[in-house]
Amino acid sequence: MTEVVLPRIVLGHNAFFGVDHLSSQRGAERAAYFSDVANVMTVIASAVDSGAGGLMLSTHPRAVSICEALRVDTFLGSNLEVFPLLPYAQKYVTRANELGLVRVVTQTLAAASTRDKVGLGLDFARTIYRRDPLDMVRALMRLELRMFRKLNVSTVFLHDAIAALNLPEVFSLYESTLRRRFGTAAGIATKNLSLLVRRFQEWGMELPVVLTHVNKVGFHVNPSQEEYEKALAHPELAVMAMGTLASGYLNPEEAYSYVNAFSSVKSIVVGASSTAHMRATFGSITASKT
Amino acid sequence: MTGLRGAVVGFGKLGLLHAGLANGLPNSRLAAVVESSAVIQRVVRQYFPDVNVFSRVEELIEARQSDYVIVATPTGSHVSIAEKLVEASIPVLIEKPLSLNAQEAQPLVAALNRNWVPNMVGYMGRYIDTFHKAAQLLHRSVLGKIQMVRSSMYVEQLLKPGEGWRYDPATSGGGVLITQNSHVIDKLLWMFGDITGVLGNTSQLVSRLVEDHVHAYLEFSSGAVGFIDASWSARHFRTPTISIHAQGTNGTLDVDDDEVRLFLDNSIGETSSGWTTWRKPDLYRPVPLDIGGTQYTLQMIDFLEAVTNRSDLDSNVASGLKTQLVIDAVYESARQGGTRVDVGTLVS
Repeated sequence: MTEVVLPRIVLGHNAFFGVDHLSSQRGAERAAYFSDVANVMTVIASAVDSGAGGLMLSTHPRAVSICEALRVDTFLGSNLEVFPLLPYAQKYVTRANELGLVRVVTQTLAAASTRDKVGLGLDFARTIYRRDPLDMVRALMRLELRMFRKLNVSTVFLHDAIAALNLPEVFSLYESTLRRRFGTAAGIATKNLSLLVRRFQEWGMELPVVLTHVNKVGFHVNPSQEEYEKALAHPELAVMAMGTLASGYLNPEEAYSYVNAFSSVKSIVVGASSTAHMRATFGSITASKT
Repeated sequence: MTGLRGAVVGFGKLGLLHAGLANGLPNSRLAAVVESSAVIQRVVRQYFPDVNVFSRVEELIEARQSDYVIVATPTGSHVSIAEKLVEASIPVLIEKPLSLNAQEAQPLVAALNRNWVPNMVGYMGRYIDTFHKAAQLLHRSVLGKIQMVRSSMYVEQLLKPGEGWRYDPATSGGGVLITQNSHVIDKLLWMFGDITGVLGNTSQLVSRLVEDHVHAYLEFSSGAVGFIDASWSARHFRTPTISIHAQGTNGTLDVDDDEVRLFLDNSIGETSSGWTTWRKPDLYRPVPLDIGGTQYTLQMIDFLEAVTNRSDLDSNVASGLKTQLVIDAVYESARQGGTRVDVGTLVS
């Protein structure tokens, strides 16, 4: 079992980047407000004050300035664990529409600043020339993770395609690169929890920390509520739960009395954009745990 | 290994997604990939040793290893590839849009007339839970006679000139109208029936060769009228955002990716009068495997079922052709300075 101690409450990043699974318009409005990193930092500080111990942060272009602000703020920098989520898919999807997948990867590597290239000690030119997919994955990971340097990071989450596509070798590469190069554990985000648990068993590999939707209405839960609740009961599973309020569809009390009933749920990601909202939500998590 | 043997032609972003579904859904497996890029060929060979890799679709057909094929190449090659597959009696799922224009799709239509096989055009937006619900309501005629339809599609994709095949009309067929907005036209035809006439205007905000904004007035055969407004250079839209509003003699319906809002004067069956709202969590349909959104999985499940039963699908080459005819008419109207153009008279 993965020996990672996760903070019980982790602040979600969606509001900062305009992701809103219930309302695109609300998402866009929040993205505008949070384009000022000072507004983001106010929410983060107030989250820590209200009991959050972690921050989920995808490698969205705007995350760079949030990381910079966290490095400057030594109190937050040391009291908050950052959980990177790789990659910020929309960034690549939009560019892949234009260029195709291979060119997106090679251009991303080629466009890395000289300082990054020297700092990472990578021979990018060789990676691009050889076009070895594993080299590329390694180089991309190092580039994407560069923004988190000197922050408090113990686990890095990867988007799910690896398990969905049944690629154990890629997960091994990812896991070993994180462990050796960054000294962090590998986590995985998934909308297919029961499939993921089954695949890791088939591969004979230790289950990573899993970031997945847990809510009583089954929103983004596959293939069925029953199957996924069975998977959640796996004794070796450590889950960071997301989507617990089903994008604001459930009220915190009913949401967390359901989520807290699963002992595999070690940690809960909560999206919040105001102090009052956070106090209420975080309070329900703690209250329903007793 | 059992199940239908699938092949994917064009292993880009969508090809990868389809391949994952072909390999992960019950009763199907990925047997072959056709891809011209040497890098991608190497990746597939390395990670999917059971999958055959070909450079050309002719080699795939000759190998006789596929029960169905997904065509996910740039638009300009859809027809010639699909035509060969149909001639070889292999069911096809063709990514949207069907073709560069309606005329260009004619050889494929003719091939299907000679030798019908299950065929689908990948307008996956029909499988998004909210639009699926809206279409169900509209197909039950809850709004009465439709009078007016407003629709829009916005995304912040392009704020400076783009590069690549999508911005070259020779391979893409055009700009935002034929790319993301073809989803809207497909949905309008599916929900409200045929469009008979259009007045269109296109404009270039940042691109040199293709349009970045389109506005079109639409006349439906039912007598309803409406419009489309679409741009891929629209700020504040992180992902493509489609909204449709319809007004009928018995009420109104609003649908987007987030919810369906219905207002009825009089109850219809179990649907009561007044306001009813369905939000995404109300409508969520679980799937065996979600890779890039449940809509792709639900689409694939329907396609696999049609392949097994040799049955027809709602979104097929015939419906895809209707979408192309509307797109052609809007482009033609825009070329003529916005005069009214009949839909469907441009192709013999």
